[in-house]
Amino acid sequence: MGVVVGALALASVLFSPHAATAGPGASLSSAVLASASAPNHRAALSLGRTLFDENCSSCHGVSAQGSALGPNLRGLGAGTVDLWVSSGWMPLANPAIQPIRKPALFDRAQTTSIAQYVASLAPGGLPIPKVDLAGANSAEGFSVFALNCAPCHTVTGAGDALADGLSAPSLHGVTATQVAEAVRTGPGNMPRFSTFTISPTQLTDVVDYVTKHIEHPSSPGGLSLGGVGPVAEGFVGLFVGVGVCVLIALWIGDRNEREDTDGHGDAHSPPGGEPPSGSEPEVAHA
Amino acid sequence: MIDKLFGWVDDRLALSRSGRHLINKIFPDHWSFMIGEIALYSFIVLLLTGVFLTLYFVPSGSDVVYHGVYAPLRGQRISEAYNSTVNLSFQVRGGLLMRQMHHWAANIFVGSIVVHMLRVFFTGAFRRPREANWMIGTTLLILAIFNGFLGYSLPDDLISGTGIRIAFSITESIPFVGTYLGFFLFGGQYPGTAIIPRFFILHVLVLPLVILGLLAGHLGMLVKHKHAQFPGRGARNDNVVGSPLWPTYAAKAGGFFFLTTGVTALLGAAVQINPIWQYGQYYPYKVSYAVQPDWYMGFLDGALRVMPAWELHLPGHMIPNVFFPAILLPGITFTLLMLYPFIEAKLTGDVAEHHLLDRPRDRPVRTAFGVATFAFYFVLFGASATDVLANYLSLTLNFVLWAFRIMAIVVPFIVFAVTYKLCKELQQTPSAGKRQQFNLILRSADGGYTTVPAEQYPGYDQPELAPVDVEKVELTADAAQQDGDEGVYEIPRRYR
Ligand code: HEC
Ligand code: HEC
Repeated sequence: MGVVVGALALASVLFSPHAATAGPGASLSSAVLASASAPNHRAALSLGRTLFDENCSSCHGVSAQGSALGPNLRGLGAGTVDLWVSSGWMPLANPAIQPIRKPALFDRAQTTSIAQYVASLAPGGLPIPKVDLAGANSAEGFSVFALNCAPCHTVTGAGDALADGLSAPSLHGVTATQVAEAVRTGPGNMPRFSTFTISPTQLTDVVDYVTKHIEHPSSPGGLSLGGVGPVAEGFVGLFVGVGVCVLIALWIGDRNEREDTDGHGDAHSPPGGEPPSGSEPEVAHA
Repeated sequence: MIDKLFGWVDDRLALSRSGRHLINKIFPDHWSFMIGEIALYSFIVLLLTGVFLTLYFVPSGSDVVYHGVYAPLRGQRISEAYNSTVNLSFQVRGGLLMRQMHHWAANIFVGSIVVHMLRVFFTGAFRRPREANWMIGTTLLILAIFNGFLGYSLPDDLISGTGIRIAFSITESIPFVGTYLGFFLFGGQYPGTAIIPRFFILHVLVLPLVILGLLAGHLGMLVKHKHAQFPGRGARNDNVVGSPLWPTYAAKAGGFFFLTTGVTALLGAAVQINPIWQYGQYYPYKVSYAVQPDWYMGFLDGALRVMPAWELHLPGHMIPNVFFPAILLPGITFTLLMLYPFIEAKLTGDVAEHHLLDRPRDRPVRTAFGVATFAFYFVLFGASATDVLANYLSLTLNFVLWAFRIMAIVVPFIVFAVTYKLCKELQQTPSAGKRQQFNLILRSADGGYTTVPAEQYPGYDQPELAPVDVEKVELTADAAQQDGDEGVYEIPRRYR
């Protein structure tokens, strides 16, 4: 089923009618996509250059033109670079597998300066988006998320394995900026969602839904079991539910009413297993 | 006064005679005989919590706009079924607890039926004269699974909707009649609006009634046949040794009912199950990844996943791939399960009456076959989580899928061989499975130590089952003697 659902999921992403995602919440939200302004632009650029040369040029080339070890970054824009560096994907640890989230190597200012440096090399691409969640409509965000993102990231955002060793990562722990960057740039195997598919207001709604409700799901029912659905629930049902009941059966099943005939204490059952019982002669006595 | 009333009623209905008979029913003292009770008690919990749920659930697929307390849904168009389930969870006092208890109880219900059947299978309790009761039990299992699926589908959320979608495709895949059947069940083209009310009436009325009826038959036959029992301790093929229903067994069973309910309530209160508000309303164009059915449908889902993409092209008709894992496999499974007592009798030629149970090790072939079959379904069950496993173990999905394909074929054979060998070894080891003997360490006056085996209880001189040679178990064919009112009860002295 997983593979089938995956295929369906892709299809629904690719062929979803744009109308289906435009909703009533559009007038409420305001996403501002603007280039982050650095007070000291020149200093930031030179810091970015130093950091890039030290950490990235070995794979992406000295002027980010790409090499055998890493793709061309020119013209990508600060938003893409910011996402890949802030999520810890870059610098790449293991080129053989899909980049995995790890603690970011650089702080906020360093990341921004690298991003600005790479963006300054060639025009184009997405600047680092500024997301303003005031007035966002999380219901619209939920709807957009279920339609466009759940097919890969699952509806609870727990993430899941996709075909061919790829996986859609868990969305627990992403920042608002990263969500906006991911949606607009489409990292790795994730599709890029243009403003035709997800309007700027809808983007704000989705970011709101992800950062508020995916990352902090409301679980009034108790332990949430990782949000992976019936598989985990089944294990709990079988091993805790049935298991404990069977242990109880073990506990009371062999208990016997023991008459205190010979004055040796009252009813206590043997430690587990078989019951104390009448031997052949005792039964025959009946 | 009360005595008089009882006397009056008794005069008319003669209850006390049959009542006394029932009260004296003997239950063998073995814990494994109580597993079936877990199923019975969780069924009672299901009925009670289920009645509560029907008070608030609206079985309708029509649209409403959500205005409840859960912000991410507010303003969305959702079905009345989904709307009422979310409201039931958030706005009805105790509603979520009841919903979660109901769902956990369903998981425990089916699970305990399976464990109970394993016990019956491995001890050979299905043999004559209990074949019919085995078949009733199998039917109960099928109905329980089916009703669980129906109930799971009722909230009309994203995940269960996907399940209904798959169920529709499975129905359609039945050769020749599938399409008609699908349209008949769904009242037209998928998804339509008829399916929720139809599932509802099946789930809350028809199937529970059938289950209740069969359950009554199941227990009635149990009383009629009397319990099978393990050999030893004076138990013979023509008697029943154990505790009487009243007062001993009633106390045990009553306590067990409350404990089972307690476990269900604890789970319902502390562990979240099926948080449908996180899933959203089902729409056919919305799909989530990592969608699984409840565990008891897992082997079907797993079979669907591991099945290679084969189709059968007959002249003028194509049998779709889905048919083999989703219709043929469960069809064969449950038919064989149903007929197993007769199949075994045919193969062994043993058609005698059995009231003494086998120890699994004494029937190595049956035990190994059972464990291997179980392992096969367990692998399929595991295969329903291919994506989750791939994700958590950082393996590729394709690798996990192929691993399960190979395991589904190889594991049963390995398991058969290992189980068979284990049984044979155990037969050679009379001390296996026995409780350790208590020892007394004595210190003599001059400081020397000696160890002597201790008596566990005063007068408790035969604590263990004596190993029996199955070939030599006496078979008494005359059931007539047992059926009479004066059945041979061996009531241990201390109960009189
Ligand atoms: C070990 C070699 C290596 C190092 C070091 C490295 N990268 Fe990469 N980078 C790669 C590879 C390989 C990819 C392609 C990964 C993929 O598509 O899965 C990549 C992809 C990227 C992308 C996305 C390109 C696209 O087309 O979307 C960005 C942005 C990026 N790297 C930035 C950086 C930055 C900034 C640094 C330094 C902090 C860095 N990388 C360090 C190897 C490396
Ligand atoms: C086709 C499947 C697919 C869809 C649909 C999809 N994603 Fe992704 N997403 C991915 C993959 C794969 C990655 C990881 C990219 C990588 O590691 O190279 C990813 C990464 C991300 C990340 C970065 C995670 C991190 O750890 O930093 C975010 C945020 C994200 N996605 C959000 C979304 C949102 C929001 C949507 C819906 C608008 C969406 N995705 C739709 C597959 C998908």
